[in-house]
Amino acid sequence: MIAFIALSAYLLLLVGEISFGQQAFFAISAYGSGMVTAIWSWPFWAGVLCGCILGGLSAALIALPTLRLRGLYFSIATLAFAEMVRLTFEIFRFQVEVDGEMVGPNGSDGFRNVRAVYEQNISPLDYMLIIYALLSLVLLGFIILERSRLGSIFRMVGEDPLLTEMQGLNATGYKLLAATMAGFIAGIGGALYVHLYTYVEPKIFDVMLGVHSLAYGLIGGLGTALGPLIGVAIDIGLLESIRITAGYRMIVFGGLVALLLIFRPRGILDETAVHWLRMRWRRLRNVRG
Amino acid sequence: MLQINNICTNYGAIEALRGVNLDANDGEITCLLGPNGAGKSTLMMTIMGILSPREGTINFNGTSIVNASSGQIIDKGIALVPENRLVFPEMDVRDNLMAGAYSRLAKEKLECLADIDEMYRRFPKLKEREKQLAGTLSGGEQQMLAVARALMSKPKLLLMDEPSLGLAPLIVEEIFQIIRDLHSDGTSILLVEQNAHMALQVADRFCLLEQGRITFTGEPGQLEENELIKRAYLGSS
Amino acid sequence: MAADFIQNCLDGLMIGSAYSLLAIGFTLIFGVMRRLNLSYGPSIMLGAFLGTLVYLEFQAGNIVVALVTVLGAIAAGIYVERVCFWAIRRGAAAASMVSSFAVWMQLEEIVTVFFPERTYSFPSMIEAEPITFGPFFLAIENLIMFLSAVLLTVILHFCLYHTRFGLALRAVSENPRAAEFMGINISSIMFWAFVTASAFGGVAAYLIISTDGQVTPMFGIWATFKGLIAMMLGGMGSIPGAILGGLLLGIIETNSLWYLGVEYRDLAAYFVLFMFLVFRPGGIMGQVSVLREQAATRRV
Repeated sequence: MIAFIALSAYLLLLVGEISFGQQAFFAISAYGSGMVTAIWSWPFWAGVLCGCILGGLSAALIALPTLRLRGLYFSIATLAFAEMVRLTFEIFRFQVEVDGEMVGPNGSDGFRNVRAVYEQNISPLDYMLIIYALLSLVLLGFIILERSRLGSIFRMVGEDPLLTEMQGLNATGYKLLAATMAGFIAGIGGALYVHLYTYVEPKIFDVMLGVHSLAYGLIGGLGTALGPLIGVAIDIGLLESIRITAGYRMIVFGGLVALLLIFRPRGILDETAVHWLRMRWRRLRNVRG
Repeated sequence: MLQINNICTNYGAIEALRGVNLDANDGEITCLLGPNGAGKSTLMMTIMGILSPREGTINFNGTSIVNASSGQIIDKGIALVPENRLVFPEMDVRDNLMAGAYSRLAKEKLECLADIDEMYRRFPKLKEREKQLAGTLSGGEQQMLAVARALMSKPKLLLMDEPSLGLAPLIVEEIFQIIRDLHSDGTSILLVEQNAHMALQVADRFCLLEQGRITFTGEPGQLEENELIKRAYLGSS
Repeated sequence: MAADFIQNCLDGLMIGSAYSLLAIGFTLIFGVMRRLNLSYGPSIMLGAFLGTLVYLEFQAGNIVVALVTVLGAIAAGIYVERVCFWAIRRGAAAASMVSSFAVWMQLEEIVTVFFPERTYSFPSMIEAEPITFGPFFLAIENLIMFLSAVLLTVILHFCLYHTRFGLALRAVSENPRAAEFMGINISSIMFWAFVTASAFGGVAAYLIISTDGQVTPMFGIWATFKGLIAMMLGGMGSIPGAILGGLLLGIIETNSLWYLGVEYRDLAAYFVLFMFLVFRPGGIMGQVSVLREQAATRRV
C-alpha cells in the first residue's frame, strides 16, 4: 500500500515537483473512507471511492495556492500541509454511537473498528487480490499514460515549464491535474489501508512516510512507473532478508541509497536506462522480424 | 606570452573546442572573434582552469598551466572579466573588489586596500557607489566594476569575455576607452568580442574562432571587413 | 492578561534564540549549496549523544560535554557533506536531498542501536533560581541560551563580513561560477561552511538539551524541523531572516501553548508557515530571499 504513495509522489516528480506531503492524502482518504463505512455503513467499494475522491479533491484544493510557488518553497509547503493534516487528526474527534459502540476518529488514539471488510464478508485472500488488482490497474494506468500525449506533456512540464508554456500549454494547469491524480492515487492506498488493518492512527502519516515514498521513486528510477515499485521492493526485500541484522536495516538501506545516488542520481531505472532498454527491445524484435 | 596549442575541450557531451591554436603576445590586445556557439567562452574557462581540456597544452610565460586550478592561474597573473559581468549582486562595490583580490588577501592585505583606492582613482564612479549593492548598478557600471575587480589581482594578462554585451553604444565607447587605457599602461589583453567593428579598432591582432577551431589569424585590415563581419556574426558555411 | 502575553513572548524569545541557531546552520548550508540538508538534526543529535556518553561513562564536566557535543556534530556533519553533497554532481539537487534523508535514517539508527533506552540524562547547564523582575521571571538557563546565541551570531557576523573566509562564503552563496573565476576553491568553501553550520548546530543542541536535562532519539527530527521552519519563516537563505524566523517561531510556540494547549502548539507553527509560504514566500525578509531563490532553481 505504501506503493500507492510512492507512485503518487512519482507522478508529481514527473512534472518536476518534489512533494513531501503525499501522505496527507493517504490520511484524508483513510479517515474519510473509514468514516463512511464504519459510521454510516456505506458499502466497501463506495467507501473506497469516496476516500479517493476526497484525496483527489483535497490535493486539488491545496495545489491551487501552492503550485504558484517555486521549487523548494512548494516542497516545504507540502510538508507543512501534511504535518498540519496529521496534527489536526491528532485533535479530531468525531464519535457516533453505532450498534451500541462508540465508533469514529478519536484524536491520537486513532480510528479503530473499521470493520467494513469483515462485516461485508470480504475474506483476507480476496482483499489481497483486491489490493494487487488495484495496484496493477494503477500501474496499467501509468503505462498508458507514459505512451499517451498526456504523459509526454507531463514530462515536458517537468523538464522545462517555460518551453511548455511557449508551446501554448498551460504548465500550471497540467501540474494541477497531476496533483489531483496523485492525490487520488494516494487516496486508494489510504482507503485500502484503513480497511485492511481496521484501524488507523495519526502517527502513521508522519513525514518519514512522505520522504520514504519520495525516496522509493528516486531509488528505483524516474524513468518509469516501475521505478517506485522497485524502490519499495528493495526496502521490503532488505527487511525480510536481513533479519539477523534487523536492527541495522536502516543503516544498510541508508548507506546503499546514498551510495546509489552518487552514481545514479535519478535512480536505477532512470530515463537513460529505460531508453536503452527500449532500444534493445526494439532491436531484438527487428532481428526476429 | 600565452601559447595555446591544440586545445580540445568538451562542454558536457559536446566537443566545444577541437584543436585551438592561439598565441597572445606581451603588451598587445589580441582579439578573438566568432559567432555564438563557436566556443569562445569555453576557451576562456579552459584558460582559467575551470574546465579541463582533453588534449593540448597552454603555456603562460614559459610555464604550463593546463591543469592548474583557477586559484593558481590567478596567482600566475591571468584574470577574467566574465561574460555578463557576473558581479556579486548582494555584496557592495567594495566587497566585490575585495573578492577580486581574494588570492592576494591572505598575504598582502594592506596592499590590497591600497589597490582599492587606486581603483577608485581610476574609476571615480565606483567610488561614488562604494557602499551600493552591485546588483543595483547600471549595466555600464557593473562592467566597470567587473573590470576593476579583475584588475585587483594585478594580472599581467587580462581576459575579457564580451565586455560590450548588452550595453548602450555610448557606454560601449566608455568601456573600449578603458580597454585602450589599460593597453597603454602595459596590460596585455585577450579580448573576446561579438562587436567586431569596435574590437578591430583596438586590436593589434585578431583570430577567428569558428566551430571550435581557429580559422584565421592576422592583423586588422588583412581580411576584408565585410567578409570578416559576416563570418564573425554568422560563421562561414 | 497582557502580562501573560509578555511572559510568553519572553520565553518565546529565549527558546527562539536556539531555533535561530539551528536556522542559521540550515541557512549556511542552503546558501552555499542551494540544497536542504535533511540530516542536519540527526547529525547534531549524534554529537549530543556522544556528549551524554562521556557524561554517563566518564562523569565528564559540563565544558567537556559541550565540547564533545560540538565536535561530534562536526564529525557527523563532515560525513554528511562528503557523502551527500560533495560526491553528487551539481545539478542533481533532489538526489542530494534524498541522500541526506538516507543518511538521516542511518544516523538515527546508529543512535538507537548504541543507545537503546528511550531517554538519557544530560547534565544540566546550571542549577539556579529564576530571576524575577516585576511580574515576569526568566529562567537562568534560558538566559544563558539567549546570550550564547547572541554571542555566536555576533561572531558569525564578524566572520562573514570581516574575514577572507566570510567573503568567500558570501561570494559562493551569490554566484559560484563567478567565485571560481576569482580563484575561490568551491569545494573547500562548501566543506568549511558545513563545518561551521555543524558547529552552530552542536552548540544549539547543547544549549537546548542541557536546559531540558535529557536527550531522546527524537531530537534529530525535532531539530531539523525547528531549524527548517524557522529558516522558512525568516526567509530562506538569509541569515538575518534565520534569526528573526527563529525568534518568531519561539514566540508563536509559547503563545499557542499557553492559549490553545499543547496539541495546538505545533499545529499553529505549521499553519503560520503555510500561510507565509502561500502569501509571502520570502518570509519576513521578503523579496530578497525570493530573488536569490530565482537564481537557484534547478531541475529535479
